Amino acid sequence: MSSNVIVEVRNLHKVYPSGTHALKGVSLDVYEGEFLVVIGLSGSGKTTLLKCINRLEEPTAGTVKFLGKDITHIKGKELREVRTHIGMVFQQFNLIKRMTVLNNVLAGKLGYMKTLPSILGNFPQECIDEAMKNLDIVGIREYAYERADKLSGGQQQRVAIARSLMQSPKLLLADEPVASLDPATSNSIMQYFEKVNKELGVTVVCNLHFLSLVRRYATRVIALKAGEIVFEGLPHEINEEWFKKIYGEEAEEVEIR
Amino acid sequence: MLEPELEIHPKEKILRKKKNQEKVDLVKAILLDSFFIFYTILVLQRAIYYKVILDLRELPFSWYEIGFIAIVSVLIGIIWGYSRTSLGAKIMGLAKETKFAKLSSEIFAWTLFNLTFIAGWLVTKISLIDLFSAEGIEGANRIFYALFTPEFGIFDDALFAIIETIYLALIATLLSIPPTLILSFLTARNLMKDHWYTFSIYYILRIILNFVRSIEPLIWAIIFSVWVGIGPFAGMIALLVHTIAANAKLYSEAIESIEEGPVDAIAATGANKLQIIWYAVIPQIVLPFLSFTIYRWDINVRMATVIGLVGGGGIGTMLMQYQGLAQWHEVGLIVIMIAIVVWIMDYISAKIREAIY
Ligand SMILES: Nc1ncnc2c1ncn2[C@@H]1O[C@H](COP(=O)(O)OP(=O)(O)OP(=O)(O)O)[C@@H](O)[C@H]1O
Ligand SMILES: [Mg+2]
Repeated sequence: MSSNVIVEVRNLHKVYPSGTHALKGVSLDVYEGEFLVVIGLSGSGKTTLLKCINRLEEPTAGTVKFLGKDITHIKGKELREVRTHIGMVFQQFNLIKRMTVLNNVLAGKLGYMKTLPSILGNFPQECIDEAMKNLDIVGIREYAYERADKLSGGQQQRVAIARSLMQSPKLLLADEPVASLDPATSNSIMQYFEKVNKELGVTVVCNLHFLSLVRRYATRVIALKAGEIVFEGLPHEINEEWFKKIYGEEAEEVEIR
Repeated sequence: MLEPELEIHPKEKILRKKKNQEKVDLVKAILLDSFFIFYTILVLQRAIYYKVILDLRELPFSWYEIGFIAIVSVLIGIIWGYSRTSLGAKIMGLAKETKFAKLSSEIFAWTLFNLTFIAGWLVTKISLIDLFSAEGIEGANRIFYALFTPEFGIFDDALFAIIETIYLALIATLLSIPPTLILSFLTARNLMKDHWYTFSIYYILRIILNFVRSIEPLIWAIIFSVWVGIGPFAGMIALLVHTIAANAKLYSEAIESIEEGPVDAIAATGANKLQIIWYAVIPQIVLPFLSFTIYRWDINVRMATVIGLVGGGGIGTMLMQYQGLAQWHEVGLIVIMIAIVVWIMDYISAKIREAIY
């Protein structure tokens, strides 16, 4: 198995300038092709973990390797090159509101482009074709020329997925991608992630809140509690006992379908 | 399991940090207290004792006396602050929860406020007698009568002068845009904080801009009218300089308050700094920028009028000339025209700003 490790995290610590110790020695491997879901209470460090992997946050100690290469301290061009292979989708979609859907998707190609043409909006025709194809994959081709902020939450998240697909990513990080969506929409968005994972073969690491979604989509689960990994296993192994351990004695499972 | 590269004892670290912070805060509190006491003694002595009680015309001044007061204040400040019952301690959040601490800081704050008000009143020599004396009222009558019977003979000249003022303000505003843009990015904390060299640029530019902005356009106009000669050009440069400094601050604040999410999202694609700024920052700030700039044009028309009074050209200079000759009917026309133009500009700029949002 260890031959196809895509991300290797060892003893990762993150202390924010405010003094919060958000990650306390996290070690984990992400295997190529899996759909790894990270669960845990609010503030347990899920977002911080994802952001340390693509270096939107600087790890305080420990190492992060991507495809065997130590990326913990790389900078500048080298870091940007690594980032082009790692897509990211956020809870708040984080689209450029005043731009068209198409331009938002094209922005996913920025890491591959020279500065001047990208600023002039001079994307080659192949890029535009690719963007349309990716919009097709998430089923919103007909909105290509709408302004991004005119779309519903679910549609915006699909644009964000299409944007990350422009990177032809080897790894897709998703930080609570459905937390601000209703249950039905959540499910359909999760199906797009599943499609990206199964059909395009992109490895997915996804933070989630709802266990019903975890059971349905995850191939493996990791649980964080106060910055430490407290569970690692298969989705169906999270029984009542583990659930209470991860979420606290008072917690009770809510179902969404 | 491997040991982490850095030894981290977060609890200890946090505790140590807290203790240090408290020490710094205590020093700040003592400095504050010393200043408050120094100020109180000075006001009591100079404004109340010398001026009101002794009714002196020339206030005696000696550095020894001031030095003595300063030393006494610092001593009291240290004792009072250290006992954590002072106003400074209260402001820094270090005060004890005792009744005495509460009372002493509250009474002192109240005294400070009243003293300042009384001293302010005395210094500005507020005199209702002048405002409502028979003489005063007659003077006001004369001027208001003239102002409301304007002389239309100079209408052409005044119209030309006011157009000059509007253009002057417009050019100053337009020319300010490119330098303001560049400066605003260089003085936005969130873009410049990452490296020590960008941060020093940020810091130095901030200081310069604050300095430039704290000098009123009127004073810039005086400086430039000596430099390039009296006239619209001096007025334009004066406005330009102040507009750049003032708007760079507003723009950079707009940059500092953008949503971080899109910046993260674009950075995550592997985009470089310029691409991040173009795709994630600029779209979020065009509207505020446009709005500030249009509003500034409106402000600049008003300021251009005032600047004209000291030789910055346009309607202000004309007003100054007729006022010097005491031709109040002509002054009346000019004042009315200024009022109308300012009102129209105000209306238009408000409408445009509404429309773009
Ligand atoms: N930029 C930051 N500066 C300081 N502290 C932070 C920052 N971001 C997160 N934290 C802190 O780090 C801890 C972990 O936060 P993180 O966002 O990783 O948790 P999370 O598991 O993603 O929570 P949620 O489910 O609410 O998104 C929290 O205590 C949080 O307050
Ligand atoms: Mg989070």
